[in-house]
Amino acid sequence: MEETNENVEASSRIYEVAYLLSSNISEEEIPVVYGNLKDLIINLGGEIISDEMPKMIPLSYTMTKVVQNIRSKFTSAFFGWVKFEMKSEKVLELKKKLDLDPNLIRFLILKTVKENTIAAKRFVYRDSKRKMPIIKKEDQNETSLPIDKEEIDKEIDAMVA
Amino acid sequence: MKQDYFSANNIKYIDYKDIDILKRFLNPNGKIMSHKRTGLTAKNQRALALAVKNARFMGLLPFVAR
Repeated sequence: MEETNENVEASSRIYEVAYLLSSNISEEEIPVVYGNLKDLIINLGGEIISDEMPKMIPLSYTMTKVVQNIRSKFTSAFFGWVKFEMKSEKVLELKKKLDLDPNLIRFLILKTVKENTIAAKRFVYRDSKRKMPIIKKEDQNETSLPIDKEEIDKEIDAMVA
Repeated sequence: MKQDYFSANNIKYIDYKDIDILKRFLNPNGKIMSHKRTGLTAKNQRALALAVKNARFMGLLPFVAR
């Protein structure tokens, strides 16, 4: 519901481009390619919200890309992403330009939300599940304790008498 | 009532980059677990499937694992 309201007001949407840069690029050139990509988005009227520097990751499977009739195989690549706000017509232009980029193995354009989507809290569910029975046991102990004392007192009285 | 993983952890948007979370919903072959096993709501199960498929395309998760 919120998303549709945003569309009516500004006619721009939040997008995210994830990309894999070819591992043939040297480590020093990465910031240059990364900068060019950000400039491209800004030139198309995009506002960058958040991004991450391309990092070398091992790929889960080998990918191939044909550039100038040469098929190259990749088992690792630099993975990076940029989140930005852009008018929906401009995104098609961005896609066409990215299609021509020889540095990119592949990329993915997604509609997303402005908030940070990477969950900070992890494994909370399991912890809360474990704590639940412990709390119940404590409650039971508290209620049973005063009864125990009275019984002990009676027992002591009986012993003294 | 049992809550599903994402609503219990207050995750509104299932991100394809969060491989640690996505991996717990895959079986050893890399297939997405069934709705029955995950215990997710229908909405979250669909969002999970999409996130896993996006992650696979970007090489973060395997299409087939041994």
